[in-house]
Amino acid sequence: MSETLLFNNIKKIPPEDYYTAGHRTCAGCGPALAYRLVAKAAGPNTIFIGPTGCMYVANAHQFLTSPYAVPWYHTQLGGGGAAAIGTAAALKALMDKGKRKMEDVNVIVFGGDGAMADIGLSGLSMGLSYNYKRLLYIVYDNESYANTGIQASSTTPWGATTTFTPEGRVNRIGNERLKKNMALIAAAHPGVKYVATATLHPPLDLMNKVVKGLNAGGPSLVHVLLPCPKGWFSEPSDTVQLGKLAVETGMWALWEYSDGNFKLNYKPNPRKHVKEYLKLQGRFSHLDPEDFDKIDKMVEEEWPYWEESNKRGKIVLPYEK
Amino acid sequence: MCAQKVELVKSIPKEKYNVKIWNGARAIAEAVKVADVDVISAYPIRPYTGIMNSLAQMLANGEFKAEIVIADSEHSQFEIVKHASATGARTFVGSSGVGLLYAFESVTATSLGSVPVVGVIGTRALDDPGNFGMEWTDVLTTRDLGWLISWPRDVQEATDMTLVAYRVAEDHRVLQPHFIAVDGAAITHVSMPVIPPSKEDLSEFLPPYDLPYKVDPEDGPVSKGMHIAPSLIGPEERKVIDVALKRSKEVIKEAWKDFEKYTGRRYSPFIEAKNMDDAEIALVGMGAYMKDIELVADMLRKEGIKIGTVRLRYLRPFPNEELVASLKNVKAAGIMEFDFSFGSPNGTGSLYHEVATSLYDMDNRPKLLDFLFLGGREPTTEHFKKAAEKVHELAKGKAAEKKAYWLTLRGEDI
Amino acid sequence: MGIKMKKVPPINERYKEYEKLDWVVSHGVGVDHTADMTTFASVLAQAGYLKDIDSYYYMRYDDSPERNYLPMIFYNVFGNPKIPVLLHEEVEPIGNLFNTIVAFTSSVLIQKTSQRALLFDGAKPDAVLVVNTSLTPDEVLKLVKKYNLSKSWYGKIVTVRTSLIDRSPSFPLLGALAKGWEKIDIGSIYDALDLLGKENKKESVKKGFENATVKDVEVEIQNEKEVDEGIEIPEFNGKSWTPDIYYAYQKAASSAKNYSQRIAAMPRWEVLSSGLIEFGPKPGNKNIGFTTPWKFKRPILNREKCIDCKLCTYYCPNGAIDFTKIDFDYEYCTGCGICEKVCPTKAIELKGEVESVEGLKDEEVPVKRFESREYGF
Repeated sequence: MSETLLFNNIKKIPPEDYYTAGHRTCAGCGPALAYRLVAKAAGPNTIFIGPTGCMYVANAHQFLTSPYAVPWYHTQLGGGGAAAIGTAAALKALMDKGKRKMEDVNVIVFGGDGAMADIGLSGLSMGLSYNYKRLLYIVYDNESYANTGIQASSTTPWGATTTFTPEGRVNRIGNERLKKNMALIAAAHPGVKYVATATLHPPLDLMNKVVKGLNAGGPSLVHVLLPCPKGWFSEPSDTVQLGKLAVETGMWALWEYSDGNFKLNYKPNPRKHVKEYLKLQGRFSHLDPEDFDKIDKMVEEEWPYWEESNKRGKIVLPYEK
Repeated sequence: MCAQKVELVKSIPKEKYNVKIWNGARAIAEAVKVADVDVISAYPIRPYTGIMNSLAQMLANGEFKAEIVIADSEHSQFEIVKHASATGARTFVGSSGVGLLYAFESVTATSLGSVPVVGVIGTRALDDPGNFGMEWTDVLTTRDLGWLISWPRDVQEATDMTLVAYRVAEDHRVLQPHFIAVDGAAITHVSMPVIPPSKEDLSEFLPPYDLPYKVDPEDGPVSKGMHIAPSLIGPEERKVIDVALKRSKEVIKEAWKDFEKYTGRRYSPFIEAKNMDDAEIALVGMGAYMKDIELVADMLRKEGIKIGTVRLRYLRPFPNEELVASLKNVKAAGIMEFDFSFGSPNGTGSLYHEVATSLYDMDNRPKLLDFLFLGGREPTTEHFKKAAEKVHELAKGKAAEKKAYWLTLRGEDI
Repeated sequence: MGIKMKKVPPINERYKEYEKLDWVVSHGVGVDHTADMTTFASVLAQAGYLKDIDSYYYMRYDDSPERNYLPMIFYNVFGNPKIPVLLHEEVEPIGNLFNTIVAFTSSVLIQKTSQRALLFDGAKPDAVLVVNTSLTPDEVLKLVKKYNLSKSWYGKIVTVRTSLIDRSPSFPLLGALAKGWEKIDIGSIYDALDLLGKENKKESVKKGFENATVKDVEVEIQNEKEVDEGIEIPEFNGKSWTPDIYYAYQKAASSAKNYSQRIAAMPRWEVLSSGLIEFGPKPGNKNIGFTTPWKFKRPILNREKCIDCKLCTYYCPNGAIDFTKIDFDYEYCTGCGICEKVCPTKAIELKGEVESVEGLKDEEVPVKRFESREYGF
């Protein structure tokens, strides 16, 4: 893929928005910001598929209020993978049979963690096994089922309070499951062309990963960690800062897996203690300093695995001794 | 001993060249090929799978071009064709039994979003327990959603209905998805003589698929299926579908008239009524077993009983006027059905509810009995004869002891 | 553009039976106020019930889930002897429903609510307005008159500064409400607190009662007739819609003067095309169907400090900052404050909405507290 397609200067990005101003998202909504950047990077020849979730309901919920300046179609919560394949298959069939002019059309599924990691995991896995070009899955991970009022999903981190895992007199911790990594799951599919993790920091990183995914020539997935001021109970103004801290504390590793080669994008050195990141979020405010240390230790134990993968250029399974 | 050479003693008449002995799976696949479908989504479940097997083989041999996607589940399978169709591709899908129910969410969104997908359901008894036998309940669960549903009696009609389904579903006055419900293995696995549709004959019958607003950058920033606030637009979006189903009747009539022009095969669009002009009793049903029911009716006619049969070719839109007209002089009718509706009024199946509602406002509506053939056990002419006798007694004035009969049941039918 | 328009009357006659009940509508800032508004509504309902008045309360469901900084709306409804009817979502602000309007923050006074309604849409002509603010009743009246009244009003304004009394605005506001609205007396609020095990909050309610300032108001609106005359929408021509017709409906609904007009601007079913089709903005345009006239603070740019690094416009989740020339479109800004935090030269500062627009500084701003993680469902 030509390097000229990538963005290297924030002043030279296209000014048009294809997910335009005018939606009902929270102030400081991480997913809305990501949607805007992804749509900007993808450009006008794009079809968005929107599984049910915040990025469905919050972008509508009235009538005569669509913010999508490119074609967009709703799909069911678990339908993200299938909907993308259906759209891509239609475009390919119509172009092959001369019923539509040949051109590059992006198909992007913008699905939440609940949609893609839970109910839609099966469909997503099927989608990753089909070799349609210009097909990109974005998992916008706000670490909960946010639209229904913040319930735990399988990407909710250990220790977070949600309405299904509240802390209380008997359950001191809240959520006790460990966070699932969708990018690793995607990378385990043979035939997947590009997988990456991203967040809101550094600037242009997410946009470039979208471009790489769309130009990878096959199924691609970007798992984006996105702060959610409502669900994380953080200040709306802290959204970008939280993305930065997630990376700097090592809680979110930024990496790419392209055509079978693993590359770590950023190694925090020195790695900040996770409490810098966790203390800005009200959803962890019931935890003790010892709990914060426990989370920090979990991150400390995970990092050698990322570094080993980077050294080998191949994915090493977690916690391999 | 050497092989004997067989001599042709007379030449084969020309009409017989065209006829194939195909099972429903193969014949329906031929219709899909002739319709030049663009995207097919497959997932295996008995008994409909043979259709997809045939299509896959045709595609592998280059007989036509289409994208065939093997889904991970029926839910994904129906989502795939829904989106492919919304983006402008003509699609084909299918399922059976619990597979269809696994896809229920997608099935609903397809008709409520007015996406003209065409699917064949090889009806099958629902789990639990697992059972390859035929029951209608799987496709009947979808009858409220806005899908058109047609019900063929044999392989030929199944093939023809598949083609006509595209013509009706894609008409701009309708734009709703369409099921063809075939009676399980009785159609998919039985090979019968069928004249396959030919692309040359039917190119004018079926215009190219042309959706008013596709989800495609070519058609501009179309947003389909936005979440709405009911105070602003809730009932209005439902009304569009109600009207589409109502308008579909005239489209169906036109389509079958045109079909006769291009193929020579004539079908009465909504119901197939036999011997109803002077009938005093009637047997009402759908699908493949009407063959046997009609045979029984013919036999009883020879004994002097004034009996006729009515076969519904469409369940949705329900052919209200036609049914009422056909039964207007009838004293009693028996509904012959293969589905259950446990706990319903009178303990009947759902076809009984549909027919009873349809006939309710008649001045002298016929008395009704329901005959349920459940669990996939095949009824025979013996069962149908018994059903006809009960209806006959009811017509003669003898009160029936109950409304619903399970004639194939072993044991006491309470 | 060639589309014939036709005037349709506003929708006002929907809630005749419901107007016989007593309604209290509370407006606050989501999610920060969820816990507070729930407390307020539940204590109020309990107080009514203890006076043998049938009481319900609920958050407006159709706007749920409530979102950060989006307006949240709660209803308390009272009926005597019993509430014979039920609305849980469709309480559209039309007709003469609300006896009392409680504003948990003053920015509501100059904005539209989440339903794009004016604050006084659906209010009874003698409604009592209770506001948590440091502004005086006269300043409140000035704002209400300028931004939010479309019908004449002969009611009361009650103001109280809750942050001086209690961290939670609910309790002082209950006291202020009791002072201004004769249907609820402070005694029954004390009883309700006893019942709910919140005796320690009686002091806050009492102080709210004592500190609240009440002012009678008489505002006559001259152009009431004009507002009642209806709204122009595309005339139905027998064909279903195209993007142009859609945009015409969108423009009409967005420019409605009040909620009764907005809801009248919605199309009939015959106009809709099959397939749940809507149209997004043409590339380069913004979605006029949805603006955000409800922020309680807005960013102010000091152009001298700006080095045009583009970080603020890059990181605006709402796309409300023009890219080419750094310019804030306040129609689409939600006041989240990301721009202020990412600006490397501190050229952006967030100021209270009422202060920025009207020059009146309100000391009462919504506060987020970690311990009240109430999301609603």
